[in-house]
Formats: sequence, structure tokens, C-alpha cells
Amino acid sequence: MALHILIVDDSPAMRAFIRRVMKLSGIHVDCYFEAANGEEALAQLAVNRIDAVLTDINMPVMDGETFVRKMREKGPFQSTPVIVISTDATTERIHTMHELGAVGYLEKPFGPEQLRNELDRVLGVHHE
Amino acid sequence: MNDPAAHEIPVPNMDALVGALLHSCSEHVLETMFFAAVFDNADPAAGIGCQRVASRLHFHGKPSGDFEVDADPGIARSLTAGFLGIDQSEVAAVQEDEVMAEFCNMTCGSALSSLGRVEYFTLETPETSRPREFAPAVEGVRRAFLLEGGTLSVCLRVDFHRT
Repeated sequence: MALHILIVDDSPAMRAFIRRVMKLSGIHVDCYFEAANGEEALAQLAVNRIDAVLTDINMPVMDGETFVRKMREKGPFQSTPVIVISTDATTERIHTMHELGAVGYLEKPFGPEQLRNELDRVLGVHHE
Repeated sequence: MNDPAAHEIPVPNMDALVGALLHSCSEHVLETMFFAAVFDNADPAAGIGCQRVASRLHFHGKPSGDFEVDADPGIARSLTAGFLGIDQSEVAAVQEDEVMAEFCNMTCGSALSSLGRVEYFTLETPETSRPREFAPAVEGVRRAFLLEGGTLSVCLRVDFHRT
């Protein structure tokens, strides 16, 4: 299954790292889309087919919490899976993001195996 | 029995706990996301007065505090190359700034998340300075590591009494 993945992070270096780790994990991604904040991500979702969203929380303009809340409000991407990638692994933060509608949570630091496992779990598929 | 203060760790032990977490989280971040091996501990004061790349951030919440990382310029370059999967000769200064900021963000967040008494925190955007004579800006628990080609040190100050 070739995936369309949206990476949302204000750091270009982190977005590049995630692409690199996706490649190392062996997950076949057909197309990457990128956004530097929640507002840009909503715009990408409106015009592209996206299979899964990987998002940071702390971002300028629109943070990850607001972004996930707006995604879940209405529209065709209400059910698009969202995996949060964050350094913040406190119980309160993880709970908040799940309450808002995130289905996965990946704590930094993470490697190819963790990313692959989380995507497999969330999408319910096994990649070759 | 239910007084939270009764369960508080005395300050000297808290410093030891923060130091241990700082050590393990830094090693884990370096190995997992930068593909860099730690060879040994280094003298935390050895970089003072030397040309270093440094990145700092402030965090607020319960607790609040500051985090700082400083590294030999060659180490900053090799970590950037490792993180992005590119050759060291291709590394641009702006990428080095971003990657050092990411290291700062990840290591601080990882250490705080592992510290039992943390309720919530928000990391502010790190600021990275180009190589210059290093003077520590954060007074806290400091640990230093010997990597291939130089050293890197980290410092965490945690204030449990301010938000």
C-alpha cells in the first residue's frame, strides 16, 4: 500500500528527519506533503488525499492541539488518522491529544521501528 | 500521610536524579535520532572559554526552568549530518542551527517527561548561537560526553517552585 503522508512540524530539519526515518523503516510512501503549522496543514488536507497525518504540538500560528480539534470538527478529513510526534510524554498531554482525536502518540526520541509499529497499528496494515 | 511534601525528594538527591536522567536521555537521543555513539563522560567545564555552538531554551509549567546544550563546532556539524542523513560537506549553517535546536528540544522534553514530579510543561523555541567563546548561561545540573571528534555538554535547571 503506497501512502500519502502529511508531516506537520515547524522545523524543516524535523520534517526531513521524519522523511528519512520513514524511508529507513521500509514503509512505502508514495507522496509526502508538508506543513509548518496547523493552518498550513488544514490547507493541505483540503486539496490533497492524505492517508495519515504526523503532527508536532508546539508550533507557531496554529498549534497541534488546535489543528487536531479543527480536523475533528467537520469535513472530509474528520476520520483521517493523526499520530502526534512530541517530546512531551506527560500523561496529561497524551490524554489531551487522545481526547481531541489523535489515534497515535510517538514520543521523541524515536527510531524507524517505533514509527513503523505506530503506523502499522494506526492504519491496521503491514508494510513490506 | 497525604501531604505531598512528605514525598518530596531532598534537593541533593534531586540533583542526582536530574543528573542521571540527563545522562540517560542525552545518550538515548544521540543514539536513536543522531546515530552517534557516546564513548565516555567528559569534563563538563572543559568547553568553557572555547569556541562552541550553543542552543538554549526556557520551559514553563510545573516545573519551569532552562536547558542548554553546547558542542564543539565539529560535533554540531557531524550531528547535523547524522540527523539529516547527509554528508558533512553538505551541511549548511541554518541546518546546524535547526538541528542543535532540535537536540535541545528533544533532550529537555525527554528528561522532563521522565522526571516523576512533572505535571505539565511547555518548551519555548530554542535559540542557537553560532560558534563563539562559550560561557554557560544556565546554572543547573551539567553533564558532558565524549563523542567521535569532540565533546558535547548539556545543562538542566529545574525550578519546582515557579510556573
